[in-house]
Amino acid sequence: MTPDPRPVEGSDIEPPDVPGFRTWPGVYLFVFGWFVLVVVLLTVFTNIFS
Amino acid sequence: MNLADWVVLLGAIVGIALYGAWRTRHVRSLNTYMRGAATTGWGTIGLSVMATQASAITFLSIPGQGFESGIAFVQNYFGLPLALIVVCAVFLPMYRRLNVYTAYEFLGQRFDQKTRLLGAALFLLQRGLAAGVTIYAPAIIISTVLGWPLDAVVVFTGLLVIVYTVTGGSEAVALTHKWQMAVISTGMLTAMVVLLLRMPDGLGFTDAAHVAGALGKLHAVDFSLDPSRRYTVWTGVFGGLFLSLSYFGTDQSQVQRYIGGASVREGRLGLMFNAVLKIPMQFLILLLGALLFVFYQFAPSPVFWNQAEWRRHAEDDRFRAIEAEHRSALVESQSAIRAWLDARASDDPAREASARAAMVAASQKDGAIRAEAKSALAAADPRAKTKDSDYVFITFILTELPHGAVGLLMAVMFAAALSSTASELAALGTTATIDLWRHFRPLAAPDEARNVRVARRFTALWGLFAVAFALFARFAENLIEATNILGSIFYGVLLGLFVVAFFLRRVGGSAVFIAAVAAQALVIAMYFSLNIGYLWYNLVGCAACTGFSVALQAVLPPRAGAGGSRGARASEGRVG
Repeated sequence: MTPDPRPVEGSDIEPPDVPGFRTWPGVYLFVFGWFVLVVVLLTVFTNIFS
Repeated sequence: MNLADWVVLLGAIVGIALYGAWRTRHVRSLNTYMRGAATTGWGTIGLSVMATQASAITFLSIPGQGFESGIAFVQNYFGLPLALIVVCAVFLPMYRRLNVYTAYEFLGQRFDQKTRLLGAALFLLQRGLAAGVTIYAPAIIISTVLGWPLDAVVVFTGLLVIVYTVTGGSEAVALTHKWQMAVISTGMLTAMVVLLLRMPDGLGFTDAAHVAGALGKLHAVDFSLDPSRRYTVWTGVFGGLFLSLSYFGTDQSQVQRYIGGASVREGRLGLMFNAVLKIPMQFLILLLGALLFVFYQFAPSPVFWNQAEWRRHAEDDRFRAIEAEHRSALVESQSAIRAWLDARASDDPAREASARAAMVAASQKDGAIRAEAKSALAAADPRAKTKDSDYVFITFILTELPHGAVGLLMAVMFAAALSSTASELAALGTTATIDLWRHFRPLAAPDEARNVRVARRFTALWGLFAVAFALFARFAENLIEATNILGSIFYGVLLGLFVVAFFLRRVGGSAVFIAAVAAQALVIAMYFSLNIGYLWYNLVGCAACTGFSVALQAVLPPRAGAGGSRGARASEGRVG
């Protein structure tokens, strides 16, 4: 019913191929850091304008 | 709307739909029909994921939410980037490795067919209803404001989306999403620029933001631990995490957007694109609403934003008196705002504090008059719709934007309605075909052409169901929350099924199935008996399903062939 599993498609083997990032955990860490930065900026925004 | 607006509106909406149908009219492969073109890159996937989530409700109700309650709603999205990281690391690689068409096929491989059917049924139930809401929500607002027949708007939107979604399936959906997002981005940017340009003389962005902040509209983050508060950092991070994990990880309308494409890399980068941009995007839409509040302190504004509803009931002297009070309160509020801005510039803290208090009091006075208007409306007709914040942004569009731009912003609303509905219909059609029809008719599986025909028919049927639901159903007044509440009631348990599947390999199909049914009953009972923020039901449903599964597995006989299924084998060394 379902097509056969893909043989080798390597989720973690395949590099992100993004300048500055060699591994996927590095990409995730960047995104997490961006999220923290956004929350900090929103907190600062709240303090300035409220 | 004049001719220029109609040309822009119909050119953008009908043009994109027909282009999508024409470009994908030759799709014959089930794989392409259900997962899109094999060459799809991360940009298209990212825009498609974004367009699926951003319905017309996003662009009608969220500015209204910013206008009325401020921008605290942005915290609801705090769990989203974290959820997308988990989806990228765990869910996406598994779906790609097992080469499934739907997320629920994975449940069948990991547990058994009854659990797969339960997952598919939960999805079909909540998403099938939500598709009706997705069409109805903008239609009721647009038809009310423009005086168009509601049924005509619903049928036009529904038929247009059915045409290209049925024709090209997932490939048509992804193709049209790119252009629809271009229309949406251009339109919203135009609205923001026009709003800033039309602020009164001497009131730049910074001053307007200070006024909005002083009037309580720019409180973006709240670290309070009070569970009765609807929007806090904690409900956003934890409740939002579970809601987003359910939505992006287990809802076929999103899973279908990223399991196709050229490789795992494209899907992952498409999701990370959303993880980075979603919170800033929602912040800007809410900020637009908060700045509209400042704008309408100076521009003439109705005491009740749903003017069609107001005029229907407000005929006696009491209503005229309320309108007069509102006009007078606005003049008072304008003077108070000007006085506060002068006081801020004077570097005199005492004067500033006094002027600020006067400004807040003037704003509260006008707020009280608006509340009185709603009470009067409800007293005149208990069935009158007293929630009017969804009408603020569209009123601004129709009264303040130049011709051409009005058509563009109306195209934004329709593009958003079409984009999210298309993903929903494609997912409903795919799930009905793969998890129901092919499950009960397995011999039909090798017949590719027949499968595509059946998928088209199911997609069309779900489209017609959504249109019928939008035509005949009546919904909760706050449109955006109605869909979120509906999702939160079912999503938690659905996520629980997948959490057990991915991370608790000792639990078998019978235990998780009974646990899911019990957890769903618990969530529904809690919804009708407790008064807590609805985002918590995502966490409750997921935790109950997971906890019940572990407890039941401890008392049930060990499952046969534990760890030996294809799904379980594929997950070894990857999760858990």
